[in-house]
Amino acid sequence: MTKTCIDSTRFGRIEVDEEAVITFSQGLFGFENYRRFVVLCLDEKSPFRWLQSLEEPSLAFVVIEPRYFMPDYAPTISDADAEALGLDADTPYLMFAVVTVPPGKPEQMTANLMGPIIVNAVTRMARQVVVEDDCYSTKHSILQELMKWQSQAREGADAGTDLQGEPEHRDRR
Amino acid sequence: MLVLTCKVNQSIVIGDDIEVVVLEVRGEQVRLGVRAPKSIAVHRKEVYEQIRQENLNAASVSTDDLSSLQARLVEEGNP
Repeated sequence: MTKTCIDSTRFGRIEVDEEAVITFSQGLFGFENYRRFVVLCLDEKSPFRWLQSLEEPSLAFVVIEPRYFMPDYAPTISDADAEALGLDADTPYLMFAVVTVPPGKPEQMTANLMGPIIVNAVTRMARQVVVEDDCYSTKHSILQELMKWQSQAREGADAGTDLQGEPEHRDRR
Repeated sequence: MLVLTCKVNQSIVIGDDIEVVVLEVRGEQVRLGVRAPKSIAVHRKEVYEQIRQENLNAASVSTDDLSSLQARLVEEGNP
């Protein structure tokens, strides 16, 4: 089986099966020249993963599955993106949000829900997409969202009521 | 860059199936309508710029940052 190797800056030598490689045909915004990445799981118990470039040793992003901290995250992606990824209604896929941590302030970590990464789990083709919903921004506080869900779950259990409000309607385009 | 002057309700056509309509001009703001096939993504340029900037910020996270992240999550308790 073909292996790909990289001496990464953060994790030392990484050897991955060619089948584990995910390919961004357009790169990520701002990093258009880097196409081949691998998702590293360093700790099974952690929700965080590293998206490591296989072309640039120092390029790696922390990513998280958005539904870990926002279970109702449901972005709308354009037909153009779905088509480019070869996704139809029942293609299995993975979704990640890129995590930013202000230096020395881990409690202020945020996830970018406006530009999630979607991976076609069959072809391993990936794309960072721009979601079509106005309610998602590039900086969602992961800890605040987690606390919100925990308290909603508690209140829901106490009152047995549905706390969902009216969805926001905004004028688009 | 091609520069065109338009009045309200006038539009420009790009290729066969993209149309940009000037809907309203009010002071320094212009409202535009874009008619394009669903297969073409239309977004404000600022949105791409924001995501690009956020990626640049995210690329500098170190492994130390991540271990302190995990510590914070454990403190808050997993959902």
